[in-house]
Amino acid sequence: MNPFIRAVSQIQEISLLVWRVLRGLTKKPRYASEMLRQMDVLGVGSLAIITLTGFFTGAVLALNSASTLQKFGVQSVTGQLVITSLIRELGPVLTCLMLAGRVGSGIAAELGSMLVSEQIDAMRALGTDPIKKLVTPRIIALVTMAPALTVICDLVGTVGGMLMSVSLLHQPGSVYLASAKTAVTFNEIIAGLIKPTVFGFIIAVVGCYKGMNTTGGTVGVGLATTQSVVLSSILIIAADFLLSKLLLTTLLAQ
Amino acid sequence: MPNVRNRFLNAIEFRDVYLAYGDRVILDHVNFNVRYGESKIVMGGSGTGKSTLCRLVLGLIKPDDGQIFVDGEDITKMREEELMHVRQKIGMVFQEGALFDSLSVFDNIAYRLREQHQSEDEIEQVVSRMLRFVDLEHAIDKMPNQLSGGMRRRVGIARALVGSPKIILYDEPTAGLDPITARTINELALKLRDLEDVSSIFVTHRLQDIEVLANEYVVRDDRGNLVFKKEDDTLCLINTEFLMLKDGDIIFSGSDEEMRQADNEYIKRFLS
Repeated sequence: MNPFIRAVSQIQEISLLVWRVLRGLTKKPRYASEMLRQMDVLGVGSLAIITLTGFFTGAVLALNSASTLQKFGVQSVTGQLVITSLIRELGPVLTCLMLAGRVGSGIAAELGSMLVSEQIDAMRALGTDPIKKLVTPRIIALVTMAPALTVICDLVGTVGGMLMSVSLLHQPGSVYLASAKTAVTFNEIIAGLIKPTVFGFIIAVVGCYKGMNTTGGTVGVGLATTQSVVLSSILIIAADFLLSKLLLTTLLAQ
Repeated sequence: MPNVRNRFLNAIEFRDVYLAYGDRVILDHVNFNVRYGESKIVMGGSGTGKSTLCRLVLGLIKPDDGQIFVDGEDITKMREEELMHVRQKIGMVFQEGALFDSLSVFDNIAYRLREQHQSEDEIEQVVSRMLRFVDLEHAIDKMPNQLSGGMRRRVGIARALVGSPKIILYDEPTAGLDPITARTINELALKLRDLEDVSSIFVTHRLQDIEVLANEYVVRDDRGNLVFKKEDDTLCLINTEFLMLKDGDIIFSGSDEEMRQADNEYIKRFLS
């Protein structure tokens, strides 16, 4: 199959998967407990890496920007710069790239090995729709947890930036926070939540699609895992560009 | 006008079923049926579409052409939701057991009942009855990765038996097992065939399975104990038949006596 046709057929299959998930939402059973379990496993389980990512990103942002800002004598706006970068760009993108690596790969590997060991067939044979039982809870979990984790990432990043400003740049914490506050507007926050929602959806759908379409035994599981990380990372970055353009002309228009 | 009488006599019927993956023909217009209470033993080399037969019966894959009847209903045109209803009549034993890794033995067997929202008391009763049937009561709290291959298959059988399905599909349940464990699995199949009146498709390529399933039967004696007997001059088993698949075609169909006398090089090589 040539690459173009393969790409088109993949898009078709992914759309079909999403359609079946959406249609399934209207009908019982809904497996609410499974959704909560996935939120715990995928969301709460990622708290540590997201906190670390946020902290160091905020810190390095402050570190890098302060010297530049100092040249112009506007060191006092470090807080504003850190938090704007975090909310608009780095929070959502880095959180979701980390999630793609940790969670998206896990989804693809888990579903893939269930498929090759016939567990998915067994599930269908026992009268369960695997889309409802396996795919939908993971998508719901990531769509809700990705924004929540992004908020945490942003917060921790702000703290990291502040620690840098205070300890290394000898800027009073109050200056940093006051400057940060001016940057946080309602529209800014909403825009900062739209991105991770979309990214979370991408991670879950790509992970589930790759997992449920694994072929070729255990080697195939490895391949599906790698592909899911690569594909969702690329899609996240591409979607980030498009969303940024869209949000800058709508919610964030000056 | 379809043959109404046949429909009501057959637990499973394949009518002119054709299936191909790309250029590879898996089943080339195959016809056969499994009567109520009958065991159909499906043989053939690897990759001849034996496992595919089971998947087709469950509706996990659809044929490209032809019809498949399960308990009198044509499942080929059914939507996934309707198929769920048909699948409740069928138990399937997968090749490696296909147990859910994340669930304990208890939860694996309870799976179907949990999906049907049965009460916990009921579930506990059924699960312990099933585990007694496959003689694995001590493994109730184990996880699948703590079980041996033979135990996994037996748990797979117990899970397939929940809801007392009248049709059971075995997909190479004895492959890769030692002779004693394989014998245990065969005896379970005999018990289901002779005592529970279950119709089944038994996919295998092991001669030992064929030997046991074609020649032995089980009865309950006066004290209620199970006794395994061999068929002899006074009794000939008619509830077990054989199918041999090769290159997508059925090259033989009939009893074991007929099969041993068949004048076909492939069958002779297979049985030697």
